Amino acid sequence: MSAAKRVQQWATFARTWHIFDCKWQDPYQSAEVIKKYLLGMHKPIYHPMNDCGDVVVCINSREIALRGNDWRQRAYFHHTGYPGGATWTLAWEVHNKDPTMIIKKAVYKAMRGNLQRRHTMQRLFIYPGEEIPEDIVQNVTNQIRQLRLVPTRLDHIDEEEVKKFPKVMDYPTDYVLK
Amino acid sequence: MSNKNLFLKSAFVRAPLQNGVGRYVCQLQRIVLKFCKSHGASRGIRDFIEQDLVDFSRQNPGVVVYLKPRRHRGPVLVAEYLNGDRVWMSVHNKTHSEITKWMEVLRTQQGDVAGARLKKYQYTDYPSVQGPWTPFTFKDPELNVATLPDPKFGANNRLSVSATEKLRLMFEKQKISEKDMKIGE
Repeated sequence: MSAAKRVQQWATFARTWHIFDCKWQDPYQSAEVIKKYLLGMHKPIYHPMNDCGDVVVCINSREIALRGNDWRQRAYFHHTGYPGGATWTLAWEVHNKDPTMIIKKAVYKAMRGNLQRRHTMQRLFIYPGEEIPEDIVQNVTNQIRQLRLVPTRLDHIDEEEVKKFPKVMDYPTDYVLK
Repeated sequence: MSNKNLFLKSAFVRAPLQNGVGRYVCQLQRIVLKFCKSHGASRGIRDFIEQDLVDFSRQNPGVVVYLKPRRHRGPVLVAEYLNGDRVWMSVHNKTHSEITKWMEVLRTQQGDVAGARLKKYQYTDYPSVQGPWTPFTFKDPELNVATLPDPKFGANNRLSVSATEKLRLMFEKQKISEKDMKIGE
């Protein structure tokens, strides 16, 4: 193999690092997207027997949004292996204990259970907040688009913008806002 | 399914080395016809030997033909080729006309063609003119200078415009046209 071809090979099979912002995202729907990047299914060279999976860095995992009353109702099962060792932990409890756990379990569950799954999971980095170690952020060359729009809170928009926003009518001066 | 689990060796479709473009070199070197003089299974090959074999060897002077009579054993054709391949073929109970056709196949093929599984039904020395794909093919060049994470690259851009947003845009447009009208006056 000539030098040029060798470099071509490295370029084609290079691992790319992607970043994904979990803010206001559904972890179970996002997991389906993240999974594709971890396994390399977004590449035209994908084949289940070639090792072309990428690395995904998830940030803001503390800010995920579950659907409906999932925070209160969804239970995560664990069994210690001993009799009576079964525990059911609610999603909000799991999230308080470890804010990266729900997204991690969602991605793990989204992939097929085979021998590769645990090794593929090693390529997923999850951080609860915005802060990422410098050696990881310098590798990132691509960002995965979110599935949902991140809503902006009214008190986070500066006052001038709010005043400029078109209004149909003004409240009367004696109107009492609830 | 992985390749190593298959018994057949695998190969690509290949062009026959331009054989026959200038002159044709018969790739069949040697053919051995093994048969029994008494058994019914060799009936067809015996007919072939009686009627067609002399013509066959006269038309193909480059091919060595051996006859190997052997008692009470099945009839077999063994062909050997220039590239070293050896094709063994049973012609048990085959008729005269079938054997004529198989002899023609063995004579004209280039080595052991049926002994390999084709990986693909097409092959090219130049798979791509624009070069193989890399992770940076078709990527937005703006990503090269962006500091990630950036909501510009991370936000969903495939959603339709909401009614509120549409209304706001209409309002903006109206403001602009009003300003233009004032300038016009």
